[in-house]
Amino acid sequence: MTHPHKTRLSAPPSGSSHPLRRIIGLFAAVLFLGTTAAEARWERIPEAVALLDGAEPRADALELDLPTVTQNGSSVPLTVKFPGSRAVEQTVEALYLFAPGNPSPEIAEFSLTPALGNGELSTRIRLNQTQTVVALARTRSGDWLAGTREVRVTVSGCITANQNNGENAMEPRARANNRVRPGQLVDVRTLLRHPMETGLRERDDGTVVPERIIQSFEARLNGETILSARFHRAVAANPYLLFHVDPRTGGGTLELTWTEDTGDSASATVEIPSA
Amino acid sequence: MKNSAFNRRNALKLMGTGGLGLLFGGAAVRGSPSPSSRSGRVVVVGGGFGGATAAKYLKRISPGLEVTLVEPAKRYYTCPFTNLYLAGLREFESLGHGYNELRGRYGVRVVHAMAKDVNVSGKKVVLEDGSELPWDRLVLSPGIDFRWGELEGYDKAASQKAPHAWKAGPQTHLLRRQLEAMEDGGTFILVAPANPYRCPPGPYERVSMIAHYMETHKPRSKVLVLDAKDTFSKQGLFQQGWRENYGDRIEWVGRSDDGRVVRVDADKLEVETEFGTIHKADVLNVVPPQKAGAIAERAGVTDETGWVPVDPGTFRARRAEGIYVIGDATEAAPMPKSGFVANSQAKAVARAIAAELAGLDPVEEPGWANTCYSVIAPDYGITVANVYEVHDGELREVPGSGGVSPMEATPAFRSREAAYAESWYAAIAQDTWGTRPAS
Repeated sequence: MTHPHKTRLSAPPSGSSHPLRRIIGLFAAVLFLGTTAAEARWERIPEAVALLDGAEPRADALELDLPTVTQNGSSVPLTVKFPGSRAVEQTVEALYLFAPGNPSPEIAEFSLTPALGNGELSTRIRLNQTQTVVALARTRSGDWLAGTREVRVTVSGCITANQNNGENAMEPRARANNRVRPGQLVDVRTLLRHPMETGLRERDDGTVVPERIIQSFEARLNGETILSARFHRAVAANPYLLFHVDPRTGGGTLELTWTEDTGDSASATVEIPSA
Repeated sequence: MKNSAFNRRNALKLMGTGGLGLLFGGAAVRGSPSPSSRSGRVVVVGGGFGGATAAKYLKRISPGLEVTLVEPAKRYYTCPFTNLYLAGLREFESLGHGYNELRGRYGVRVVHAMAKDVNVSGKKVVLEDGSELPWDRLVLSPGIDFRWGELEGYDKAASQKAPHAWKAGPQTHLLRRQLEAMEDGGTFILVAPANPYRCPPGPYERVSMIAHYMETHKPRSKVLVLDAKDTFSKQGLFQQGWRENYGDRIEWVGRSDDGRVVRVDADKLEVETEFGTIHKADVLNVVPPQKAGAIAERAGVTDETGWVPVDPGTFRARRAEGIYVIGDATEAAPMPKSGFVANSQAKAVARAIAAELAGLDPVEEPGWANTCYSVIAPDYGITVANVYEVHDGELREVPGSGGVSPMEATPAFRSREAAYAESWYAAIAQDTWGTRPAS
C-alpha cells in the first residue's frame, strides 16, 4: 500500500527554505519513523513474542486482507493469503491472529495440513478500536512469516452494532463448492449461529453476561484431521470460516465440528469431490 | 496582508499541539496562492445534491468566480423519495429538479454534457464531444456506479430483468411497472448489499413502501429481504415499524441466517445464497455492490476500494492536486452516503475553495451534519441525525450529537415524523436546486 500524502510530506519540494517547510519536514521525519516501527508490531504483543521465541519473521510475507475502515467492529471480515505457489515444505502449518488493541490480543490459532492447498482462509473478527491486526504463520520448514494491516474502526449511529440476542441453535451450516474446474481448490464454508459471549458485556441491570464461546473447530476428511482451530473471544459472533481443500486428496466426506467451552459440540458434513 | 496573518497564525499553531492536525489538513503546506488562482475558474462535475449545492454556494460566497456545472441531465431526479413513488404516494415528476435558479439567480454556467475524462496535469475536464473545460479547482460529485459482475450473474443486461432502481430514472419506472404487473400472492425479493453503499436505510425504506403498496393493491403478496449484512441502519425501528404496520408481510434474512446472495439468475428471477438456498421471486430487485462514479476513476483519485480517499476536513482528493471530491463517491466514514451529507460537504468545500482562491484563511474547523428520514407507512416516519467533526485528524461523530427516533413513541409522533420527511425533502430540494414547492 502506498501513502502518497506521507511521501509528499517526507520529501518537501527541493529548494524551499521557508521556515514552515523545515518544521513540516521535522514532523514528517517523525511520522516516517512511526510507520517503519509499526511494521514490527508483533514485538509489542507478549503472546507473539513468546510464540516466536527469538525467531525473526519475514515481514509482509503473507497478505492480510481487512477493510481499511469499518463501521461495525463487531464483525470484520479477514482473509489471510500466502501469495505465490509453494513447495509443500514452504506451505503453512500454523497460523496465529492477533488484535493488540483488544482487551485480550489473541484472536485465533489454526493448524493446517497440505490438504488445504496453500492455506488461504477467511473468518470474521471483533475489533473494539482502531488498530493494526497482526498475523504470524509458521511454514513446515520452520520459517516464520508475518503480515499486518491497520483497520480504522469508526462509530456510526447510522449503522447499528450487532445486537447479540444470545441465540444458539448449534446447527452449523456448511457448503463445499462442487463446481470445481481442473487445478482449482474446493471452497468450503461453514457458519454456526452462536453469540460468542465475551464475558465483557453488561446487561441493562449492570450484571455481566458470563463468557461462553466456541473454543475449537475441527475439519476431518474421511476421519483424518486436515484443519483444526482454537478460537478466542475476538472471533465474531456467528463464527464463520472459509477455507480450501485440494481435490487431489481424493475427496470424500468432510466433517466439520464446532465445540463450545461448555463441551457441547455440533457437526455438519459436506462431500469433497476428487480431482 | 491577509497572507502574513494566515502564516503567522498557523506557524503559532504548529508550535502547539494543533500542529499535526493542521499538517494532515494540508492547510499549512502551501505558501502563497498560485498565480492561476487570480482567474478563479471552478468546474463542478455532477448536478446532484453535492454538485448543485457546491456550484450554488461557490457563487453565493464569491460571485466573481467562474463556476461551471457539468451535468448531462436537463432535469435531475433524486434517489431520495423514489421509494414513495414506488408506493404510489408521490408523482415521479415531483422528484425532478432543473437548473434555472442556479443559472439565472446565481450565475452558474450549466453545461449539459457528460464529463468523459479529467486531464489532471493540464487541469481540464474533457467532455464527450472532445471539448475541454479548464479549471483552477475541480469539484467531483459523481455519485455511484455499479460493480457489474461482482455479484455473479448480475450485469447491466440482468438489470433490465431484475432492476436495481438505485439511480432514479428508467430503472425506477421498470421496477414500478413490474410491481403493477405482479399477480396478487407474488413474492418481491430485495437483495441488499454489504457496506458501504448509497443510502444505508434505503433498502429497508424501499421494502416498507412496497409492503404498503401490497397492503393497498396486492394483499396476499410477500416481501423477502436477503441481506449480506447482519445489521442495518435503524434496524430496531424498522423491524418494529414493519410489525406494527404490516404484521409478518416482510421477512428479513441476515447474513448469519444465510441471507447473503452469491448468484443471480435474472432470466429465472432466482437467487442463490452463500450456503446454497435457491429463492424464487416474482419481482426481483437487486441492489448491487457499488463504487465511486466513473469520472473519479478517470481522474485517478480512487483507491483499491473503488471509493475516493479524501483529506478529512478539506475533502481534497488524496491522490491529486486541486481536486475536491464530495458525496457518495468519497470514503468519509462515519458519514453515510446520503443526499444530506453531500449537501453538507458541498457547503464546506465551497467555503474552502472560495477562501483558497481568494488567498484567505481557510475555515479551520468545518462541521457537517446528516439527517435521514425513512418513511415506513404514509403516517409512520423515523429518523437518524448526526453531527460530524475532525478529531485527531479523522472524521468522527460529535459525541452526544444526534441519534435516532425513540423506540417508544405515540402514533402521533410517528405521524409527525412522516410529515417532517416531506418537509425535509422540500427544504433540501430548495436549498440544492432552488426548487420551490408547487403552491
